[in-house]
Amino acid sequence: MIIRSVPVLVFIALVSLIVAGPHDIRDLAASHQQLPRIAPAPDFMLTSQDGAQVTLTDFRGKVVAVTFIYTSCTSTCPVLTPMMSFVQDQLGRDFGRKITFVSITVDPERDSPQVLKEYATSFGANLSGWSFLTGSPAAIRDVTRRYGAVASKNVNGDVDHTFLTSIVDQRGVLRVQYAGVRFDPGEFKRDLVSLLRER
Amino acid sequence: MPFVQTRRRLLTDLAFIGAAGLGGVGLTGLSYSGQSRASERPPEITTIRLAKSPIACLAPQYVAAELLRIEGFTDVQYVGLEGDIGKRGIPEMIGRDHIDFSMTFAAPMLIPMDAGEPITALAGVHVGCFEVFGHEDIRSIADLKGRSVGIPYSSSSPHTFLTIMTSYIGLDPTKDINWVITSPVQPKQLFIERKIDAILCFPPETQELRARKIGSVIANSAQDRPWSNYFCCMLVGNSEFVRKYPAATKRVLRAILKATDLCVSEPKRVAQLMVDQGYAAHSDYVVQMLSELPYAVWRDYDPEDTIRFYGLRMHELGMIKSPPQKLIAEHTDWRFLNELKRELKM
Repeated sequence: MIIRSVPVLVFIALVSLIVAGPHDIRDLAASHQQLPRIAPAPDFMLTSQDGAQVTLTDFRGKVVAVTFIYTSCTSTCPVLTPMMSFVQDQLGRDFGRKITFVSITVDPERDSPQVLKEYATSFGANLSGWSFLTGSPAAIRDVTRRYGAVASKNVNGDVDHTFLTSIVDQRGVLRVQYAGVRFDPGEFKRDLVSLLRER
Repeated sequence: MPFVQTRRRLLTDLAFIGAAGLGGVGLTGLSYSGQSRASERPPEITTIRLAKSPIACLAPQYVAAELLRIEGFTDVQYVGLEGDIGKRGIPEMIGRDHIDFSMTFAAPMLIPMDAGEPITALAGVHVGCFEVFGHEDIRSIADLKGRSVGIPYSSSSPHTFLTIMTSYIGLDPTKDINWVITSPVQPKQLFIERKIDAILCFPPETQELRARKIGSVIANSAQDRPWSNYFCCMLVGNSEFVRKYPAATKRVLRAILKATDLCVSEPKRVAQLMVDQGYAAHSDYVVQMLSELPYAVWRDYDPEDTIRFYGLRMHELGMIKSPPQKLIAEHTDWRFLNELKRELKM
């Protein structure tokens, strides 16, 4: 009986895949494909928009998206933060409870906690689940480099920096990085949520 | 080709479904405890040597300098193509241990691979950097029959690509083309002076000729099939380095692929950096190049297809003795690329 049912199940599975179409198959595949475990995520101790000391370890048990911005950026930061705000809204009740965002400034000389708070508010960030962090220039430089991003001040006083958004799982392991600011928010959300399903 | 890529990705995804169904947790666990985690060790060596060439489409490896330092390389060197070994080309410089890694042209690199140089292809980086220019009455590759075509020297990269392109449409490159070896003068100069009928060139010469309205483009490898279906530049490393230093190799690859993404997302910044550091003279040409060349395809195109495609053509033409499958078996290593495709998204 079992022997007979195996080919039938395989057939049904193949027919289902054909009927589902490539897009659905891709989603199905993605949902079964765990994100790689790259390495322990670099820890940090920085200051939040409320003046509190924050470490990555504080978020243990939650999925964390770590990114780098600066508030006076007029080119590409205004693309990234609204996109993350959009994903924040898409995450519903999971945002804050199970998934958090951390935006670290790469311009600590100008981005005080108060400046970061105003920036966060202007983009509709829900601060119960989204921390905007600053720190000493040395601490910022260190965390930026350890996540694999580059930031340096140019002659105009603006910051040239690479955009790199990292997803860290509940155990503090770096799982995937997104380069640039125009990545697919749907894929980003799926990756965040996929980690909630892992045991 | 886009369909082929989609189908390939689909098959990869299906493979993962199979893996998940047949013990996906175990597979992932193995990945973490095995190669992946090992690759995240600090680099086994902190000096890295890359090629410095006037070809602007190698932008990612110049932009990667700071990213390489972040990856733990304290001494990042760019070595010019000078002396006898420099004239032999980037793959030979890698094989003879003058440099460790570089982007290089896909088809020409198969010749030193075939000759046994210890070089290993690690990834495709981008498509489409070469263009063929002809004067007014030349409108297609077929029109090159009986015409003078400038090349810097025999078996140079332009010679290799043009031999493949002309034979692809049925010409006999040894009889139908009047090859003009221009060295020490650049073919571009003789083309501008109308002393030759056609040339194949790379950025920034392609942008310059178009800007100056000299000749017209008769083949553009970023747009014209089949050339646009395959990588023109791939990342290659010294085989011994790759074998001895896997952590360093993965870190080099990550830095250069991140820099490749920067070429897509930050073309103006990349162009300015190229000019500031002396790798390019005109920012405008670099911006134009970065907007024209598909730098985003390194995740999607299969680099093995490129080696198979050019390898088959070159094997048929007697340019190499080894069949492509032998070159793929002995001179490629996609492990690091496959890991990074999953770790670094865009």
